[in-house]
Amino acid sequence: MSASPSYGSRPWTFYVLATLFALFVIFLYGPMIGVLILSFQGPSASLVFPLREPSVMWFDELFNPRRTGDVVGAFYRSLPLAAFVMVLTVLISVTAGFAFRRRFKGATAIFYTAIASLIVPGLVLSIGILVTFRYLGLTANWYTSGLGAHLSWALPFGLLIMFAVLGRLNPSYEEAAYDLGATKWKTVKEVVVPIVFPGMIAVALFGFTLSYDEFPRSWLTIGSKNSLPLEIWTMTTNVTSPALYALGTVTTVVSFIVIAIALSSIFLIQRKRS
Amino acid sequence: MTNMNKTASSMTANSATAPNRHESGEIRLVDIAKKFGNTYAVQNINLTIPHGSYCCLLGPSGCGKTTILRMIAGHETPSSGEIYIGDQMVVGKTPVERGTAMMFQSYALFPHLTILDNVAFYLKMRSVGKDERRQKAEEMLRRVQLHHLRDRMPAQLSGGQQQRVALARSLITNPRVLLLDEPLSALDEFLRLKMRGELKSLQNELGITFVHVTHTQPEAIALADMVVVMDTGRIDQADSAKVIFNSPKTPYVARFMGGQNVLTGNVEKASSGTVRIVTAGGATFEAASGEAKATPGQPLSIAVRRDRIKLRRRSADQKSAAVNEISGVVESTEYQGSYVKVTLDLGGDVFVANVSDADYFAEPVDRGDAVTASWLKADVHTLSKVDTGAAGDPYANSSH
Repeated sequence: MSASPSYGSRPWTFYVLATLFALFVIFLYGPMIGVLILSFQGPSASLVFPLREPSVMWFDELFNPRRTGDVVGAFYRSLPLAAFVMVLTVLISVTAGFAFRRRFKGATAIFYTAIASLIVPGLVLSIGILVTFRYLGLTANWYTSGLGAHLSWALPFGLLIMFAVLGRLNPSYEEAAYDLGATKWKTVKEVVVPIVFPGMIAVALFGFTLSYDEFPRSWLTIGSKNSLPLEIWTMTTNVTSPALYALGTVTTVVSFIVIAIALSSIFLIQRKRS
Repeated sequence: MTNMNKTASSMTANSATAPNRHESGEIRLVDIAKKFGNTYAVQNINLTIPHGSYCCLLGPSGCGKTTILRMIAGHETPSSGEIYIGDQMVVGKTPVERGTAMMFQSYALFPHLTILDNVAFYLKMRSVGKDERRQKAEEMLRRVQLHHLRDRMPAQLSGGQQQRVALARSLITNPRVLLLDEPLSALDEFLRLKMRGELKSLQNELGITFVHVTHTQPEAIALADMVVVMDTGRIDQADSAKVIFNSPKTPYVARFMGGQNVLTGNVEKASSGTVRIVTAGGATFEAASGEAKATPGQPLSIAVRRDRIKLRRRSADQKSAAVNEISGVVESTEYQGSYVKVTLDLGGDVFVANVSDADYFAEPVDRGDAVTASWLKADVHTLSKVDTGAAGDPYANSSH
């Protein structure tokens, strides 16, 4: 009797894990797709399935508010705020990353101090910032206290990414540039930044989305006018129309566009190099 | 090979027109030491590498050879001492001011630039106009036979091609000294031998000084006009390849270069240019006393080339009493094609005989056979240092 050769069939664990993953994907994207569909609800204004007489009237409602809040205004605050956070996170993370490449005294302490703000509860931080601003006689505003609060969240992520990216950067690239007569500034500009550019895009992406979605740290720091997540939260308490879903759809689309731009630029750079 | 020859001659023509590059590429290290933290990586380094020579720094990893190369290149500053290139003191100067160019072990080609822009990088840093630098870089690429790949990215090239690009990128600076950090270690065996030949002929044609760091003995012997054998942080011997291989000065060099057996005994008699030593085991050897100071009663080490040893069988209880003979038991045999490497156990110590295939197969020996090894007095030479055995010498008792 000879055993038939086995070419490796899939073990039972494969099916268990595949099922788990499928459930995870449904849980992740199912509600999002539900919101997307219901944002095209007709004039019946029903908040639940089924979809009747599909229309875009709730998008119209969103941008020409009669009953909903100041969504457009909130969007025009959240977008520039996210852009500021993005630019500052990239600038600070990259320069700090360079600084940390050369071991200096107290580097570890500074690193942990920077990272610690990830652990501080956002709502507590929000209260703390407001109290401090009041004490100093300053008015909370999205471009002052709000910006600072968001940076306390986005910067540690940016730092961690840049440390990983620069940690993998072979020092011999910089030495080769020096060998070929490049000054320090030219080495950064012509060699280091181009090589780590995909990492910088990743930092930018994190900076933007972390700020754009941030709720707890915005709560008390954003000032008298809401950012988008706060506006959505307000709407859930006083708007009972599919305009809420339309808003969900629009913000999700904006996030996806940002991610798509970032990922495709990383992809294009990588493809050009290989 | 022929490609590189053509290449090289046109490069010389090029370098002749470049300004400030007629100076000598002689490298002089004076009392160089380099400390990392509290430990010395290298110490008491005094070395002169003549202009236009091919010099190999040879030693095991961690011996400090790369540190010396990087100090010559200007990527590391010595803790003390002076480095001269030509008649110029170069400590504190940039690589371009030194007239050196370094080829990195990983080649360090910029991954975001095309091959052409990699080669043109030096010219770009000197603010040479785009058209002119591209044209010069294209010329250089044509010389290393890679012109057709000028628009590729480094990741799209094979290891051998990457190395040629790295060479072109270094040579476009018209250096008087080219520094190579283990340039062949990333290549497969076939390419390694091919590039080895190309490097040698390139150096011949360019006539500039090459300093090449390696841990591979055959590579150093095949390439170098001057071999510098390094131990932990110091130079053991700097000589021509022939002298290093045939007349190692110390037991360490003899063992590291391979091809030698080191034997130690006490001097019994030293007269009329002959020294006679007796080992602890009772064997007696004779050698021309050479430079070594031989005082009766003092220990002395000698070296015998592995390929000058004759083997003959003996009965197990028979001890040899003749001069320049030693008895042992065959531990292993290894067929190497043109010869057979026979390793003997001398009762603890290892002794290797490389027996020609004809002699071996005329009278084959096998593991466990008792044999006597013998050699001529003329094939022995005395070492200037006494072998201290395995302590502090990782190559003692290894039979690589």
